[in-house]
Amino acid sequence: MHLTERWFGNPLWRKELRQRMRSGRTVLALSLYLFVIGAVAFIFMYVNVQGQTLLLQPARTAELFMFLSYLQLAMISFVTPGIAAGTISGERERQTLAVLLTTPLSPTSIIIAKFISSISFLLLLIVMTLPLYSIVFLFGGVVPSQVFAVFGLQSLTLGTIASVSIFFSTWLRKTGWSTVFSYATVALLFLGLAILGYFLDDLSAHSPDQGILSWLSSLCYSINPLYMQASLEATVGFITPAFHQPVVASVFSVVASHDLTSFSAWFTFLLVYVGGSFVLLIASIWRLRPGGLIVMKKRLVKWLMR
Amino acid sequence: MIRTENLCKKYGKFEAVHDLNLDVRPGTVFGFVGENGAGKTTTLSILATLMLPTSGRAYIGSAEVTSEPATVRRLIGYMPDVFGVYDDLTVREYLGFYGTAYGVASHLIEQRTKELLHMVNLEERADAYVHALSRGMQQRLGLARCLMHDPPVLILDEPASGLDPRSRIEMREIIKSLRGRGKTVLISSHILPELADMCDEIGIIKRGALVACASVEVVTARASGQRQMCLEVLHDGKQLAKWAAHHALVTDVLVIEEQKVELLFAGGDEEQAEFVRDLLQAGYALKSFHEVGGSLEDLFLHLTREEDHAGKQTAASKQMA
Repeated sequence: MHLTERWFGNPLWRKELRQRMRSGRTVLALSLYLFVIGAVAFIFMYVNVQGQTLLLQPARTAELFMFLSYLQLAMISFVTPGIAAGTISGERERQTLAVLLTTPLSPTSIIIAKFISSISFLLLLIVMTLPLYSIVFLFGGVVPSQVFAVFGLQSLTLGTIASVSIFFSTWLRKTGWSTVFSYATVALLFLGLAILGYFLDDLSAHSPDQGILSWLSSLCYSINPLYMQASLEATVGFITPAFHQPVVASVFSVVASHDLTSFSAWFTFLLVYVGGSFVLLIASIWRLRPGGLIVMKKRLVKWLMR
Repeated sequence: MIRTENLCKKYGKFEAVHDLNLDVRPGTVFGFVGENGAGKTTTLSILATLMLPTSGRAYIGSAEVTSEPATVRRLIGYMPDVFGVYDDLTVREYLGFYGTAYGVASHLIEQRTKELLHMVNLEERADAYVHALSRGMQQRLGLARCLMHDPPVLILDEPASGLDPRSRIEMREIIKSLRGRGKTVLISSHILPELADMCDEIGIIKRGALVACASVEVVTARASGQRQMCLEVLHDGKQLAKWAAHHALVTDVLVIEEQKVELLFAGGDEEQAEFVRDLLQAGYALKSFHEVGGSLEDLFLHLTREEDHAGKQTAASKQMA
């Protein structure tokens, strides 16, 4: 079987997409999402312009871009665990997993198919909003590369959250627990790391180990999608009226003080997110192998005895 | 075609399968009987590559299940005791999905789907959603799914469990028809008479060990000599059990309650009538008396109990063979 046929012709992936996309709920969810995000964009513009489009300031459209991108990031963090946390545990609960595992589909192709089918719906949501973002280009203030960079970051974040959710879904028997752990991890990534970074920053100001603490806080911020998205929007962030809001200002101050636009910050982010996703998917594949856990335990014991 | 060599499976200290040696010849329908928790599902799961044995080996054809799982999966069609279906697919899509998953050529999938739906009598429901099918229909669809890639071996774990009598009969007829297709079928159940009708050989598993293995003819011949009787008395059930245990034709007392005793009786109608007369003469207040069906099954329970007493696993298989 050719490689392309093997991956793109994966029957599980096609089945998942067919099941997901044929449901009326999916159409409703897509429409509702577009409606909400479109309404938000419209209201935002209406309030700022009051119908006089020629008076629109680029700084204002940049603010709209920021607003929309953060709304989208929030959506990704909320929706992804909901979709991906039941991929394997759901099969287990529906009692379809045993049959699936006796087909020639390997655990690798099952996990990859589940991963792709989970993220493709969300990627569709992201891509669907592109026309809305194009409003921003009508009035200037943001360059296309920035929009695409933000989309790239969001796609990567979405992929990582999906990997985390699939990992929990494979290792935990119940979808309920898998969902709880997935949301907890998302909360840790977004809020936990922000709080930890803030405390480390605060500590480093009064500690002799300033270097290490500052490095640790930079690490916390550089693996937080919230701050890394801000680093992509840093050039527009400082000029927007929203910058006068303390929360927005604090985010962009962190971006500047920890130099999150630097190569090292991005390298860390990419390493953790791409590497982390890879490791989690490998662990999921391993767990799905019949007797995978037993083999893992045996190898661990053997390694410890050595 | 299906072979196990000293197969063992332990869950912690509990031994679910113990030194199991099984040999199912090609083209035969082998019934695997045992009580709930006897180790049937564990054995079948190992054969279906869903579980690793603690020790021992299992083969499907010449492929070893732990070292060549991919080969084994192509050789078997597995139907678990409880399985779900993808509700929001149609019957045709469901079979098509598994056909593709098993690597059946796309031009053959439609043709095979049609054949199998005809075989399991679901032709008219081909475009219905799976969730709209009854339990019996879903079981039949599950069987069709097992046959999508035309495997030489079928492993069916209690395929008729939870079905109404009509659906059980339909399922039994379909499985019987598989004999004609040259399939090797390993089918588990705890309802022995049902298996006797469609199997060539029967193996009994108890506490993870194979305690008896024989052809259906041998088993049926053995079973025909015994009948299970249920006696209801006003009181003194335990006393009656003691009395009956000493009777020459009572081979075993199965149930002892205050007002009810069930026993295995190795005699004909006249001996039975004499037994009841003796019982009344002994002063027991008999409220009711009737024969219980499924004597074949009870005989097996009885045989396995004998094995316990003797403590020898191989004796029964030799005795029966």
